[in-house]
This record gives sequence, structure tokens and C-alpha cells, in this order.
Amino acid sequence: MATDAAPQGAPAGPGQDARDDLYAALGLEPRASRDEVERAYRFSLELYGEGALGTYSLLEPAEAEAQRVRVCEAYEVLSDEQKRQAYDAAQGFLPPETPVLPFPSPKHSRDAQELPEVLTGAELRRMREARGVSLRHIASVTKIGLRYLEYLEEDRFQFLPAPVYLRGFLQEYARLVGIDPRRTADAYMSRLAPKR
Amino acid sequence: MALSVSEVLPGAGAATTRRQIWSIGGGKGGIGKSLLAASIGWQLARMGRRVVLVDADLGGANLHTCLGLPAPARTLADFIQRRVDSIDEVLTDTQAPGLRVISGAADLLSAANIKHLQKVRVMNQVRALDVDVVLIDLGAGTSFNILDFFLLSDVSILAVVPEPTSIENGYRFIKSALYRRLRAVASNDAVRELVDAALDPRNLEGIRTPAELVARVENEDAESGRALRREMASFQPRFVVNEVRDTADVAIGHQLVAACGRHLGLRASYAGFVHHDDAVWRAVRRRRLFMSDAPTSRAAEEIRQLTRGLVKGEDLGHGY
Repeated sequence: MATDAAPQGAPAGPGQDARDDLYAALGLEPRASRDEVERAYRFSLELYGEGALGTYSLLEPAEAEAQRVRVCEAYEVLSDEQKRQAYDAAQGFLPPETPVLPFPSPKHSRDAQELPEVLTGAELRRMREARGVSLRHIASVTKIGLRYLEYLEEDRFQFLPAPVYLRGFLQEYARLVGIDPRRTADAYMSRLAPKR
Repeated sequence: MALSVSEVLPGAGAATTRRQIWSIGGGKGGIGKSLLAASIGWQLARMGRRVVLVDADLGGANLHTCLGLPAPARTLADFIQRRVDSIDEVLTDTQAPGLRVISGAADLLSAANIKHLQKVRVMNQVRALDVDVVLIDLGAGTSFNILDFFLLSDVSILAVVPEPTSIENGYRFIKSALYRRLRAVASNDAVRELVDAALDPRNLEGIRTPAELVARVENEDAESGRALRREMASFQPRFVVNEVRDTADVAIGHQLVAACGRHLGLRASYAGFVHHDDAVWRAVRRRRLFMSDAPTSRAAEEIRQLTRGLVKGEDLGHGY
């Protein structure tokens, strides 16, 4: 894995999406949250990993290697607040997390006290419904598949993605429902068997 | 010759209700396409749709077996060979209300090579069936016939299993279908030649991906470039990953969608996955469909969710 950024200059060939900025390298839109950058980075590393099922028959080894370099370059800038600010400014992108917004105004402080140590999917659903937020809305804003959100509320752990992504899903969910993202994720995931 | 939409659609669409053509392809044999077709069709019928399953796997038809039916008296080959006049005459009822099937012809290899006009006749009559959904099991391979059925579908489902050979065939299938579609809209010989060249991955033009092809065509002829771009945008294969065993297998669908977007310039989506489930093969051995034989099995539940998602046009998102 080439983690050192730069010298050969990763080819941003015309074979990719029309956009060839650093966000596109991770499959992101500008304004992506820090968490999204984190998850997209992990996903992209797996996507271009040596022998990865999803790409090995599509990309030559050298192409996959170039993509890995590019992903690392993108991550190096986008995960660093200052570098990212400078990059966004140079490209004319809006700053991260410019609201696409959650419609009920988040009341973090109050809910932080309400949140129990352990949260079930049913409890999440109750909170969501009490605030009148539809799963469809969450899915359309976050690009998380509606079915994953249903699995989440139904506690169907075997269908949910790996913990690193699940944590992200929970935080996005919580953000849109207007409850504390980190505590929600912790409380929900506390029920997962440690072997996961 | 490619089957153009204008050849098939005139008149056919003018009539009453909007029927949808769904198809399931995948390039490789033995990945459960027929079972997927049978079970998705079964579920659609359960949801109140009037469904006809078409076994277009003319070389290795076995859809009827998946549905627990004996070898049919009449098959699609009888229609293609004009031994019957109307496609209605080769329809067989199944045990499920609302679900009928048109069997393929295991005995007739030549049917897999049907001629252009025969194909138009099949497509027209399939479109004219008085049903809500026609679901076509395309069988293995990437022959022109298979690609044309896939391309003319309202919902094009691409089945894979988490194995290198299947994924490789899946990509080959997508690329072949896409290039065939692009070739069909090429407005002149120069553009067609570029499309043909692009099909060979080691072509001298240096075109490696569909996106590069479109860029090249745009350079030559802006109008053609726009036409190709429109075709690319309307080509939206939906992946189904069958026989998954763990979270990493499930994630492969997300990888495929990401790779199609980033490297082929295609907007694919991940419709769903179905776990490897012993209930499925136990039912197959009893010559029953697991949807009715083991309705509480994990696979049956996943087919129900997958089908609901396909009906509503929902997918699993980008997965991260």
C-alpha cells in the first residue's frame, strides 16, 4: 500500500466521473462531514485493496495502485481541517456540513440527558416518530439505504454493515432525528456482541 | 443488428395500462438467476401484481423446475418457430395466483440464436401481454439476444455471487450491454467505429472505459457525444448479490456500484442481497420454491425486501 502521497502524481484519468476533485476520489460530495470523509476513506481503501473483489477484474493492478495513492492523497487533505479549508477555498467549495438540513431543530442538550445508556432500535424509532422524521427523509439526506435504516430500528444486526459503517449510520440517523449522535451510537452499539 | 426502441415500442405502448418489463441477467451460469427470477416473480404476485415469468434461458431452461412444475407441453420455442400463433398459447399457470410462466426450451439450442425479426415478434408480444410485470430470466452469457432483452427492460437486474468469476462476468455483461446500446444510437460510421474499437480493451485508440469513449466521441461530434451521454445516463443496472455469507460479501454490492460510478461513469444501484440459506436448496430438492416452502427463512425474507425495494425504486445507498 502506497501511503506516501504524491511524487508520481496519481493519474486523474478521464475514465472517472466528470469531477476529479479530491472529494470525488473518495466518492464524496464537497461539504461532506468529517465522519463521512472517514468512512468514505475506509470504504475506498477496501474498494481498491489488492485483489478486492469489486475492482480486481475491472482495474489493472497498476490502476488500482494509482487509485490507492489518490485515495490517500485525498484523505491527507480532507481529514486535516486546515488543509481542507485551504483546498475548499481554492476550489470554491462550501465549508463542510453546510446544512442540507435536518428539519426538526436539534435539541442536543436536552436529549443528551434523556438518552439511556443502552438504546434499542424500537426506542430509536419511538424518538424518531415523536419528532415526525420519516425514514425516507433520513435516507434521502444521508444516502443511507432505507433498508439499512429499517434493519437498524428492527435490531437486525446480521444485516447491518461492519461496525465502522454502522457507527456512522447511527450518527447520521441521530443527527437528523435531533439527538446526540455520539451517545446514540454508543448506546445502540453497546448491545453488539464484542466479536463483531 | 440491435433492436431499436422505435421498432418495438410503436403501438405496443399506446394501449391501456403500463406494463413493466423486468429482466435478470448476470453473464455467468449457476449463480441462482432462475431461483431469483422465480422468487421475485412469486413475491410480486403475492403483492397483487399479475406476473408472467419468461424463461429466456433458451439453452438451459429450468425456470419451471424452480416453480415445482413438470416440463411444460408448450415452450417459447413453439412460439418462436411459429408452431403456435400467439404467445398466450405458451403460458402455463403456477400454483401461485397471479403468477404464470412461459417456459424456455431446453431441447432447442438453435432457439438461443433467434433471428432479428423473431426477436421483434417476441418482444412485441411480450409487451402486449395483459399483465403488470413481465419478468425475464435471461440465462447465462452475453449474446446479443440476451443483451437486447436486458437493455429493453424497465428494470434491469444484474445478479452476481461473491466470487471472482461471477464479478468478472458481471462487468463483462455490463460493458457489453452498454457498448451495444451506445452502438445502436451512433449516428454515423465514424462513431460506430469508435464504439467497436472501444469494445477491445487493448484497442489502439487508447479508449479504456465507456466514459473515455464518450469523451472521444464528443471531441469528434458534439451531437453524437450528447446522444451517448443520454444513453449512459439511462442505463441503470441494479445489482443483486446472491449467496452472501457475511458482512464483507454484502459490501461487495456497494463496491460494484462505486466502481461502476467511478470507473465506468455508470449510475448503477444496489438493489439488495440474499444470504446463502440451506432452506433454499432443501426446497429445490423437494422441487418446491422456498418462498412457499420456507416462508420464514432468511432468504425468503430478503427476497420480500428486495422485491419491495425494486417496486419502489429504492436501493441500499452507497454503504458508507
